[in-house]
Amino acid sequence: MAEENVPQQQPAPPPAGARPHSKPSGPVRRGKRSFVRKKKVCRFCVDKADFIDYKKADILAPFLQERGKILPRRMTGTCARHQRWLTVAIKRAQNIALLPFAAGR
Amino acid sequence: MEERQYDLIFICRPDTPEPDIDKLISTLEHAVTEKGSKIEKIEKWGRKRMAYRVHKLQEGFYVYMVIRSSHGELVKELERRLKVSDPVIKYLTVRLDEELKRQDKLKRIRERRAARRPRKSAPAPAPPATGEQSAATL
Repeated sequence: MAEENVPQQQPAPPPAGARPHSKPSGPVRRGKRSFVRKKKVCRFCVDKADFIDYKKADILAPFLQERGKILPRRMTGTCARHQRWLTVAIKRAQNIALLPFAAGR
Repeated sequence: MEERQYDLIFICRPDTPEPDIDKLISTLEHAVTEKGSKIEKIEKWGRKRMAYRVHKLQEGFYVYMVIRSSHGELVKELERRLKVSDPVIKYLTVRLDEELKRQDKLKRIRERRAARRPRKSAPAPAPPATGEQSAATL
């Protein structure tokens, strides 16, 4: 019994998800041709918005999914502060039927 | 009490004759001024398509007003009136003064910061891309 347990435990130590530490100069990336993800910028920061108006549905609409869900920050690149204001604005707009709670039928 | 600012939006049935809406607005106006409060702005947005159906109606006549008041009771009274009046199908009151205060504060901070360092380091040429990006994510 003890002998059986030992070989089972031995392969365990190297975890399945173990990744080699990413090296700065990997074989895939070659100098300038490395893949660079385009950095998303918070649109409200670009506009220097101090206030997000719930009455302007056309501004808020791009931040909704087709079915009316609010898009997460990671999709739109909105900064935390503006996302916070944005959700409040969207929810107000929904209440006065400027934006849908759930679109499509 | 400190003076507060409110946004009041209400939606009337689209088939309401406009004189009736005007009458309703004037009664609200009267109720507001009676208590020593002010109406800053009244806008009739007119018939608009609503984002969802309300009372089986797809369209509504939007009216928007900005009110300054130091009586909290006033909002209660206005909402009561809107609830009772037949042509109104939806209304929303939002207290806005704190957000406006925050907006002022942020603006002042930015101006002060801009005044402190006048060196403008390359005003970002990036913005145009943002619109496409969020459209692509849909």
